[in-house]
Amino acid sequence: MLSRVALAATAAPSLKNAALLGPGVLQATRIFHTGQPSLAPLPPLPEYGGKVRLGLIPEEFFQFLYPKTGITGPYVLGTGLILYALSKEIYVITPETFSTISIVGLLVYVIKKYGASIGEFADKLNEQKIAQLEEVKQASIKQFQDAIDLEKAQQALVQKRHYLFDVQRNNIAMALEVTYRERLHRVYKEVKNRLDYHISVQDMMRRKEQEHMVNWVEKQVVRSISAQQEKETIAKCIADLKLLAKKAQVQPVL
Amino acid sequence: MASVVPVKEKKLMDVKVGELPSWILMRDFTPNGILGAFQRGYHRYYNKYINVKKGNISGVSMVLAAYVLFSYCLSYKELKHEQLRKYH
Repeated sequence: MLSRVALAATAAPSLKNAALLGPGVLQATRIFHTGQPSLAPLPPLPEYGGKVRLGLIPEEFFQFLYPKTGITGPYVLGTGLILYALSKEIYVITPETFSTISIVGLLVYVIKKYGASIGEFADKLNEQKIAQLEEVKQASIKQFQDAIDLEKAQQALVQKRHYLFDVQRNNIAMALEVTYRERLHRVYKEVKNRLDYHISVQDMMRRKEQEHMVNWVEKQVVRSISAQQEKETIAKCIADLKLLAKKAQVQPVL
Repeated sequence: MASVVPVKEKKLMDVKVGELPSWILMRDFTPNGILGAFQRGYHRYYNKYINVKKGNISGVSMVLAAYVLFSYCLSYKELKHEQLRKYH
């Protein structure tokens, strides 16, 4: 947040030159950090610490005395100081001195022998930690990259939408065609139905007329045959039949 | 003799011997200032010798040696009685 304010502060002079000044910009011209905010990225840790000689005295001291006394200066100074302290008994030799000497000697021996390997072990632990964090970072980056690729692919799909729309249009056209033909067929059936009805009505009328006429003619004929005419007709039919029988008798003989 | 840069903002190594009293008096002796001085000193030492990738034993041993010297100075009064000779 402060970095944003500092950025706005550096942008403020350029904005002041412009005529427009919003209230937020006026607020941001109050600069309360003179340097650039140094949040990220952090500078990496230095490889090695400051150089130290004999494990006790920093290198800067030796460099400080080098112009005046050369290389052996600080060592001579150290020896002189030690002899002075011993002779004037500023450093008193007590029984503790001997235990100190043996302990320090042992420490120096152990450090000289195993220092490097312990350093390597610690370095390996550090490296493992860093590798773990790096893995997390890489996994995160990969995740984001995959998400970006997915987004791009989906964006590319947008260009192919027209296929979908074409298929939909075709489907709709086919459906329209089908309904049109269905309705056409229905119209045809209905019309045929009506016409069939008229035809069957006509047929029925004609048949009825025919039957009625036949019945009427029969009835008239039957009525016109009186009783006497019936007797005469029957006698004539019998006489004809006798004649025919005689004829028939005669013919098979021949 | 006034130097070109005001004496207030020089580091200790650049201050000349004659200006030393004024430089010392210039320093900030409020509790906040003293605390700040201790913090600065600690962070300088820490970032130079301990907060590195391949650290040395010297980062720790210098502190221990300073402690040894300091405690020797504190107990010199009692040690004076164990001197082997009276006159040096």
